[in-house]
Amino acid sequence: MTEEYDYIIEFKNITKKFPGVIANNDVSLSIRQGEIFALLGENGAGKSTLMSILFGMYEPDQGEIWLRGEKVKINSPNQATELSIGMVHQHFKLVENFTITENIVLGIEPQKSVLGLPIVDIKGTDQKIKDLSHKYGLDVNPTDLIEDINVSTRQRVEILKMLYREAEILIFDEPTAMLTPQEIEFLLEIIKNLQADGKTIILISHKLDEIKQVADRCAVLRHGELIDILDVKTTSTQTMANLMVGKQISLSLDKEKNDPGKTVLEVDNLVIENELGIEIVHDVSFVIRTGEIFSLAGVSGNGQMEIADAIAGLIPVKSGKIKFEQTEITDFSVRDRTELGISYIPEDRQRFGLILEMPLSTNLALKSYYKEPFSRNHILQDRVFLDYSDQLINKFDIRSGQGSATIVRSMSGGNQQKAIIAREIDLDSKLLIFVQPTRGLDIGAIQAVRERMIAERDKGKAILLVSLELDEIMSCSDRIGVIYNGKLQRVSDADLISREEIGEAMMGVANNEQ
Amino acid sequence: MNNNLKNKNFLLRLLGDPKYQFISIPIFAIICSLIVSAIIILIVGQNPLTAYKGLMQGAGILAKDKYASFQGQPTDFMETLDKMTPMLFAALAVAIALRAGLFNIGVSGQMLIAGFVATITIGYSRQMSPFLAKPLVALIGMIIGALAGGLIGFFKIKFNINEVVSSIMLNYIYQYVFSYFINTKYIDPVTRQSRNIGANARLTLMQMEIGSYKMRIPIFFLVAIIVAIILYFFMNRTSQGLEISSIGFNSDAAQYAGIDVNRRLLHVMLISGALAGLAGVTYYLGYQPSILPKSLSSIGFDSIAVSLLGNNNPIGIIFSSFLITVIDRGATYMRSAAGVEQEIAALMSGIILLFSAMGVYMRQKFAALLGKNRMRG
Amino acid sequence: MLNNIIIDGLSFALPLLIIAIGGIYSERSGITNLALEGLLGFGAFCGGLFMAFLSSSFTAAQVPVYLSLIVAALGGALYASLFAVLCVVFKANQVISGVVINILSVALTGFLTRQINQNFFNQPSDKFQIGVFPRVSVPFLKDIPVLGGFFSNFYVFEVIILLLLAITWYLLYKTRFGMHLRACGDNPQSVDAAGIEVNQVRFKAVLISGALSGIGGMCFAYSISANFSPTVYMGAGFLAIAALIFGNWRIMPTFVACLIFGFARSAGNEIGKAMKLSSSFFDLTMTLPYVLTLLLLIFFSDTNKAPRALGEIYDKGKR
Repeated sequence: MTEEYDYIIEFKNITKKFPGVIANNDVSLSIRQGEIFALLGENGAGKSTLMSILFGMYEPDQGEIWLRGEKVKINSPNQATELSIGMVHQHFKLVENFTITENIVLGIEPQKSVLGLPIVDIKGTDQKIKDLSHKYGLDVNPTDLIEDINVSTRQRVEILKMLYREAEILIFDEPTAMLTPQEIEFLLEIIKNLQADGKTIILISHKLDEIKQVADRCAVLRHGELIDILDVKTTSTQTMANLMVGKQISLSLDKEKNDPGKTVLEVDNLVIENELGIEIVHDVSFVIRTGEIFSLAGVSGNGQMEIADAIAGLIPVKSGKIKFEQTEITDFSVRDRTELGISYIPEDRQRFGLILEMPLSTNLALKSYYKEPFSRNHILQDRVFLDYSDQLINKFDIRSGQGSATIVRSMSGGNQQKAIIAREIDLDSKLLIFVQPTRGLDIGAIQAVRERMIAERDKGKAILLVSLELDEIMSCSDRIGVIYNGKLQRVSDADLISREEIGEAMMGVANNEQ
Repeated sequence: MNNNLKNKNFLLRLLGDPKYQFISIPIFAIICSLIVSAIIILIVGQNPLTAYKGLMQGAGILAKDKYASFQGQPTDFMETLDKMTPMLFAALAVAIALRAGLFNIGVSGQMLIAGFVATITIGYSRQMSPFLAKPLVALIGMIIGALAGGLIGFFKIKFNINEVVSSIMLNYIYQYVFSYFINTKYIDPVTRQSRNIGANARLTLMQMEIGSYKMRIPIFFLVAIIVAIILYFFMNRTSQGLEISSIGFNSDAAQYAGIDVNRRLLHVMLISGALAGLAGVTYYLGYQPSILPKSLSSIGFDSIAVSLLGNNNPIGIIFSSFLITVIDRGATYMRSAAGVEQEIAALMSGIILLFSAMGVYMRQKFAALLGKNRMRG
Repeated sequence: MLNNIIIDGLSFALPLLIIAIGGIYSERSGITNLALEGLLGFGAFCGGLFMAFLSSSFTAAQVPVYLSLIVAALGGALYASLFAVLCVVFKANQVISGVVINILSVALTGFLTRQINQNFFNQPSDKFQIGVFPRVSVPFLKDIPVLGGFFSNFYVFEVIILLLLAITWYLLYKTRFGMHLRACGDNPQSVDAAGIEVNQVRFKAVLISGALSGIGGMCFAYSISANFSPTVYMGAGFLAIAALIFGNWRIMPTFVACLIFGFARSAGNEIGKAMKLSSSFFDLTMTLPYVLTLLLLIFFSDTNKAPRALGEIYDKGKR
């Protein structure tokens, strides 16, 4: 079905402003039918906003969208769906206590009539979903509940949602962020299959390798502006990176061989149960020494976050021991552990790391407010809070509207993360736990955090790094433990294990050598 | 026209500036409520201004046209302060719990249990010296109230029972159980209430001759004001206060920061219960000399309105409890003066509460409007 | 005696159930509903007002009592719309809004009842006469030993409630609307992404909640006395909340919970009567449902799973 139009989608001079930010500034883009088109840019470059406009979630302040040669106005995701546009969001939009089929049909439920009453027909649709999933190699079991399936299956459900709605234009927003290398390969394969089936694909990503691997063309966005449109085959990843950041950047991290000393943390046969009494960490043991970064690699939800929480004392352990410099701390309170020398940069910074309603100065002293000089005889010393906070703001380059008095909620995600890192590092603890420390940060900020982590290691700190990003694990660690399904699959020196081996262990493939 | 616009901007600046919102929004809520109430009074066919004047006269803020002997505006005003005392304690009980994110809707029940226990232990021991009896009443009220509040906290942290549900259940249980005891053991057959306590134990001095008046003196009124000030200091200036606010804002982060969340929550409920207990004894062994079986004092519920209206700030609560008490106390006189049913008082408090609940929304809305205005101008 | 326990138990449990189902609708959509008490009271007030006017203008003994249930439902829904405006449109804290709605309901109905009695019926009273709801028995079945109580001397509204039970069950679990409603309480973002207006669904859920509570309140007004009076605020709304928590936010287990409450209450009363205890003793048996609730919560609240997005304010702009 070839029509008279050259491009299936055309963005013409799109501008979108939010209070204080210009998310898209006069962006014009054209996408051909059947190509894989990548949108490259840092966080806040305006990629997601542009796609949200296409998907009807935002209205542009200026500019037009043309679809299949006609000017359109897309006011809602519903309308986008009618125009056969589908989107897989970065954060999956799935109802946990519904089955896969129920999630896929949500909003366009098929009905049948029983005794003259309309009833949503789920059972009858299960087979249809099964067939659809076979067709594109997306195996799922339609009657499974979402809460029981893993991340990569959830993503397949999201893809099936689009296909069920007969989408022709498929938008993927950072689709590989949570996947293992093998799963990423698998996903890219699926994307190519979809292209072969005639679909047009828009891939939002900041991962250069993936773009290089599958995309035909790539648009680079920076600070809301379109910088360039590149032919991917003829452009190097370094060029793409430079364009994305706007300056020459180094993609590699300088790190010298470490010199580990005595054991700081010892975890013995740790077993953790979740609230429902299901064992989620089985018999995990490892040690971390001074001057080394030990990482836990694994797919989200395999027990690594719980191990970090348990070491910090936030959740109880079922059995096993945690020793800190020969002291058993398994039953110590969070505060006792902090005072012994454990710092913790948690995964969810807004839920755990900060009290968003309070000012920056209070948040920076969140772990020391009760001690002299912050409190004297339980009375808070405001002056001390402010002086200390000003000091950290300078030292760690935390940007905020009103300095120490800024309510943390109004700060950007990157600066919130900096505030947490500043507070935890300044505690001068012997053990630092970093969980997903660079999630949601810009390339520049990512680099800074990783350098800071290595600097702390070189000062003789013991560091536990938990990350879902294999790149991060590969570039920062001295030793790596791979966790799958609550079990430590293997532990190895970082230079003795390959990316592929980690990927296999992350998926539970047994290691024959061990 | 221009002037009009300026006025509008001035109003918006007052309501939209976060610096003044702590005071401007409650006042705005009160004005809205007075307008709505006035409309209701108009619909009922009475004059709202006469009605409001009646309220003030009844509460002793304005002088009535005539008084009985030994009576006067000061006697009315002292009675208002007498009724305000339990209200202030009760609202402080709500406020400190709310600071920790707990909704202590069980204040009425805690008042009742404290009042009942103090009544049967000290209230009926008429030989006891008043200098011993009165402090003992207060002490017992505090301890029993603290235990009752602590029980709710215990249910919350030990069994994860929502404090609202458990408080409500306990409210009913106290109400019926004490009704049983009052009816079988302590009933005054004439009044159908519990027998009056002795004057030695009563926290309000009755019929005190001052000048040409015979009036009530609520001895715990000053105590309540002092407690409010202490509580303000405690909640805002101490490390424990900071811990309590942290828990209220984000209990996960509080736990992460090393705060023993459960222990603090228990403390908060003990303090809240103790304050509710003080409200109980200043009400049942102060403002009143007896307990009406099978009913809860409306103070426990009105105190939620008072606390909301006062922004959960103990100093603000001093003013809001005064306001709500004036409405409550003045209603009887208003009925005779303006012919409006007494129930309008409860309705007015309810409407104030309704507007106060919208406070958060109004804050954001006005702030956003102000922001937009500034951007344009 | 067993018959009495069954008869009284059912006449308490079923109105409680319909209120609890109202609560389930609201909470499964993600709106914490502590306002049930206020909703049921306002609904009963509207039904009572309707009956008071009808019986004053029509002399016939048989004023349409069934109509009063419909009016109560409408009244409950109307008042619930205020609650919905507060917590869906104004995005106020749902717990606080619920408490506000309750306090306002008591105040408003108290004031209006007095004022209306004064102005229209010229009598100082805080009650409306609402007449008697018919009771029936099923011939033959009522004579079955033990189980006969289920078929004898029940209010017709109990049958209506059972019918509503079937309808609400169908609506919540089998229809598109029900599916959207349940999805809103679990992950509103996903509902929005599917092109469904979350706040619209929640608004409707709260209205349904008000309508069902209104019916329940009216039934209580009939079964407590032949009046609408402030005694209708006897805590049934809060018991209903306890029942639905105990029933894990699902209709059928909540039905069971309500039956337990109802029978505990009537059994307490009957035992008191049988032992010829003084009337004060009933104060103690009255506490039974509340004590039972606390005990059940102590033992079961750990295994309960509230809807994931319960109490979460949904703001479209925030993603």
